[in-house]
Amino acid sequence: MPRLIKNKLVLRVAGTATLVAATLVAAGNVACAAEPAVDNSAAAQNVFASAVAYAQARCVKLYGAGIGRDHGYATGIIVSADGKVLCAQGVYLAADRIRLVLPDGSTHVAEVLRRSDAIQTALLKIDVPTPNYFDVPDVCPAKKGDWVLAVSNLFKVAEGTEELSVNMGVASLRTKLEAHRGFSEVRYDSELLLIDAITSNPGAPGGAVVTADGKLAGMIGKIIEGTATNTRLNYAVPADLLRKFIDDKPIAEPATPSLVSTDKIKPGTFGILLFTLSGKRSPAYIDRVQSGSPAEKAGLKKDDLVLGVGAEIVHSVGDYQKAIADLKAGVEMTLLIKRGNDIQRVTMVSVEVPSATPANAIEKPVAPAIPAEGKSTEPLPKTPLPIKPVDDEKKVD
Amino acid sequence: MHYVKCCGIALLAISSVAPAAEPDPAGYLLAPRAFRAAAARVLPSMVTIETYGGVSGGGKKGKISGISGPGDGPTTGVIVSSDGLIVTSTFNFIRKPPIITVTLRDGSQHVAELLGRDETRKICLLKIAGVKNLPVPTFVPRSDVKVGQWAISLGVGYGDDDPALSAGIVSATNRISGKAVQTDANTSPANYGGPLLDIEGRVIGICVPLTPSSQAEGAGVDWYDSGIGFAVPLHGADDLIAAMKAGKTIQTGKLGIQTKAATEQGGVVVAGIMENSPAGKAGIKPGDEIVAIAGEKVQDLTQLRAVMGRFIVGDEVTLSVKRKDGESDIKVILAALPDSPAGAPQVEGGKPGPRPKGPGK
Repeated sequence: MPRLIKNKLVLRVAGTATLVAATLVAAGNVACAAEPAVDNSAAAQNVFASAVAYAQARCVKLYGAGIGRDHGYATGIIVSADGKVLCAQGVYLAADRIRLVLPDGSTHVAEVLRRSDAIQTALLKIDVPTPNYFDVPDVCPAKKGDWVLAVSNLFKVAEGTEELSVNMGVASLRTKLEAHRGFSEVRYDSELLLIDAITSNPGAPGGAVVTADGKLAGMIGKIIEGTATNTRLNYAVPADLLRKFIDDKPIAEPATPSLVSTDKIKPGTFGILLFTLSGKRSPAYIDRVQSGSPAEKAGLKKDDLVLGVGAEIVHSVGDYQKAIADLKAGVEMTLLIKRGNDIQRVTMVSVEVPSATPANAIEKPVAPAIPAEGKSTEPLPKTPLPIKPVDDEKKVD
Repeated sequence: MHYVKCCGIALLAISSVAPAAEPDPAGYLLAPRAFRAAAARVLPSMVTIETYGGVSGGGKKGKISGISGPGDGPTTGVIVSSDGLIVTSTFNFIRKPPIITVTLRDGSQHVAELLGRDETRKICLLKIAGVKNLPVPTFVPRSDVKVGQWAISLGVGYGDDDPALSAGIVSATNRISGKAVQTDANTSPANYGGPLLDIEGRVIGICVPLTPSSQAEGAGVDWYDSGIGFAVPLHGADDLIAAMKAGKTIQTGKLGIQTKAATEQGGVVVAGIMENSPAGKAGIKPGDEIVAIAGEKVQDLTQLRAVMGRFIVGDEVTLSVKRKDGESDIKVILAALPDSPAGAPQVEGGKPGPRPKGPGK
């Protein structure tokens, strides 16, 4: 079996990077004269042929509604013998009639069975058998660095029975985009598989991303621009998440405790008052620590700089306010604090906002007009304020 | 790619079983193992950089240096000395953040000081204090880098400690006036400041955004993930590191002249002398034809610009100029001049020759 031979080779050379390198330098230069053993035949060079053909036979072209800059076409992946097809969410699905073209060129009308916001994916169905389909695995078969082949209807260049286009790259990283970094347009809050083939193109979403041996690694996702890098992401929705969606199992992990909004739990505070006179965009320097507060017990002081709250990076006063906007009492969090040139992680447990000390109680401005957190002299209402996210995000931009 | 075109393979009638692997005599399928091994080798020398505060560039509307905001994520650096010197890209500090931190692979986070920068290569040097025995990677000698060899780019910009990996090849070994190696491995804000590796895990260079046509801070980022990426080699760059360590800012040296084509066939004629022009001070006048620079015969404006790109502020450059009364050599000590308006900070002043392209798409 070819695969066995491959594994043997890997085992034999894996111990020494140099050997692997030597093999691969030769690999990158197939025509190299110093390697007479290299088989230059077309078949030998085409190590991805079966995987590509296999994937192309299991992908469909989709045509629906196009509105403005949203393109009315996409790709889909056949995932069952009875006509179920996965695709990416998009405006095109809003069409009265979603046209689906099978690899044999036949056209069918697809209906939307289900949608997932968490992975921005939809499940379609057509009324004809689809004997060639992908087995969607429980575990994503592509590891970082593995070759991946992306098969899609990008720019709808493939028409009728023409085969879908193929891009090649490697799996770059499986990661979860930090929700707080605010990805534009799309709310995709699950893990994704970044790939280095360029797939963020019109028509590509819904395409198949397969390994060199044709296993489904994922589905090209809806186009996302990430604010972490301010670039378009090339990624696949990992196969294991697709599997869960097909099986109608929950995809998103439960929200972290601090974000659970249970009415019975009171709003919380660390007792940190920031220096806010120079505005929300200035670094989050501590102006005052309330006496008896978790911050005081943790040893925080005036002029300490808050750089992070939990997983959130705090660039500014506004970031801090956002990070603790939904804080409940009794939540343990680690703050990243800079004092002089030292950086420390300080863990504290939030306490209930003390409603009896109206003047300095709360860590967020009651109204935008009040400059410093809690520096208002207005008494707070007897009941704790419903803590809402600071609603001035638009002004920050 | 040429080897994924054909697909004349007969398929089973009913099948969800993935095909068996193809024979792999050339070793393509081994490559991912080696990519991972190379990445693992340099990983201890990679750091995560975070910045706090600074010019707000977030959001779609904010533009800094001609690009839309540089993003909010962490960025990457590479350790270049065991006592805490780190090279990264100036791109990562476009916001001019007051606070920079560096997180080492052991998880320790340190406040970093930005020492000097090389604006011509878009790299800069950070220093963290109180550390020792940091692992320094191996840098590949420039002469060992060949077109077509594997190249692997790494960066932590997606917000994960684990760097994202992109693989490709070296596309050219000598770009941007000799300052950069070109690759088709993806480079983007996700890995500017991170390493471009060879298959053995040695550092070919530091990934940076560059473009031949502009020196603006954010220029070149338009080419992110496009198949055109650049990395600046550091092997043998001890003088450069020392200059940056001393806090110097290295800038492109400029002549301070405006030029035009001498004839339709080419050649370059001085059309004007700018204010505080080094060339003007050296005695170059409008109407002079520049026939050679630094010993190289000048063909046209593009070539003049490419040769000039090798020099920095303070360098002395010899120009051979032709006048009515004959040819003479004039030595010019290059200076930094304020960028011309419209984002065209070019040695020639950009008029009336071809206008250098700005960073816009």
